[in-house]
Amino acid sequence: MEKFFEIFLTFFKLGTFSFGGGYAMIPLIEREVCRNKKWIDKEDLYDVFAVSEALPGAIALNASTFVGYRVAGIPGAVAALLGNLLPSVLIVWVLVAAFLQVKDNAYVQNAMNGIRPAIIALITFAAYKIGKSGIKDRITPFIFVGAFAACYFFHLPPMPVIICAALTGLAVGAVKAHKAHKSGGEQK
Amino acid sequence: MMQMMNTLFLMFAKLSAFSFGGGYVMIPIMLRELESNRLLDPAKVTDIVAIAGMSPGSVAVNAAVGLGYYVSKINGMGAWGVLPAFLGIALPCATIVIVVASFFFKIYKHPRVQSALYGLRPAIAGIVLYAAVKLAKSGGMLLSGADTVIPSGWNISYRLHHIIELKSLAVFAVAFLLLMKTKLHPIFLIITSGVVGIFLFGF
Repeated sequence: MEKFFEIFLTFFKLGTFSFGGGYAMIPLIEREVCRNKKWIDKEDLYDVFAVSEALPGAIALNASTFVGYRVAGIPGAVAALLGNLLPSVLIVWVLVAAFLQVKDNAYVQNAMNGIRPAIIALITFAAYKIGKSGIKDRITPFIFVGAFAACYFFHLPPMPVIICAALTGLAVGAVKAHKAHKSGGEQK
Repeated sequence: MMQMMNTLFLMFAKLSAFSFGGGYVMIPIMLRELESNRLLDPAKVTDIVAIAGMSPGSVAVNAAVGLGYYVSKINGMGAWGVLPAFLGIALPCATIVIVVASFFFKIYKHPRVQSALYGLRPAIAGIVLYAAVKLAKSGGMLLSGADTVIPSGWNISYRLHHIIELKSLAVFAVAFLLLMKTKLHPIFLIITSGVVGIFLFGF
């Protein structure tokens, strides 16, 4: 039980002081969980983040829950999850409520006019970063353009596009494996 | 009211269980779900995402909680929307990590999983770019309709069709360059662009 509260408090602190989510949390988690608490070592934490990225959902939340799970099983996972979520919930709640009060003010509207393109830049930058790690040969640019076109011109929801892309990846992987097998495994 | 809570819970649960990449990557799916359930128009989503980006913690979780609250508030249900947003994000995450992660850890390096990710990454880049374009359109930056045009902006039109708004384009370009060239923290970018907006659009 003591461990439960310790994990909860650690992730509550991390949730309150980490801005930017996802990868921005890595250095903070590393300092708290690896260096101060010595719950898991550094290499394990990097593996946790790699897997958290491949799993659906928020990366930071997945990683926190995962660390909690490795430290103290299911109660640990629950403690880390709640600790990470609660500060976000409370702070965002208060901020959105405040925003609703002032959103018709002329200064706030002008500020929002400046913030919106910055948010769009942040989202475009996220696309750029994933694109950089994922578009690397002659096939992947077509998947990128195809996914964009499917959403923009054909108004498909993201989910079926994501499923089709994963299936395309599997098909390409199978063809590559087949080719490698044919040529006696000499080529990659 | 129960129906709205149900819709919100299912929406966020679906989001949490099926979206890969976290953070701003979750925005396109959120956008689509809110729109097809007729809960909120995309222009408002950008504002909540801005607040989510300024708050500590995970951007995706913050956006979910903010949108849950906003939707319930404007529909006269007070703050109740926070609850389904919270549960919708927390439950799939707990289930996936506890059930899936213990064996996923072992199969992560499996060639099939890597092949699926090979196809997923470029597609997600495309979907996220689509979300950016969509929000630019609804925010009056690009190809806007009469209801979304920013009156104090420098709007360029061709034969009554809005093409682009130059002040927003300038903020976007500077912000994107800063993100590319420096390690500037997003929260500073958001706050600075707000201050810039007050002067740029106010005078």
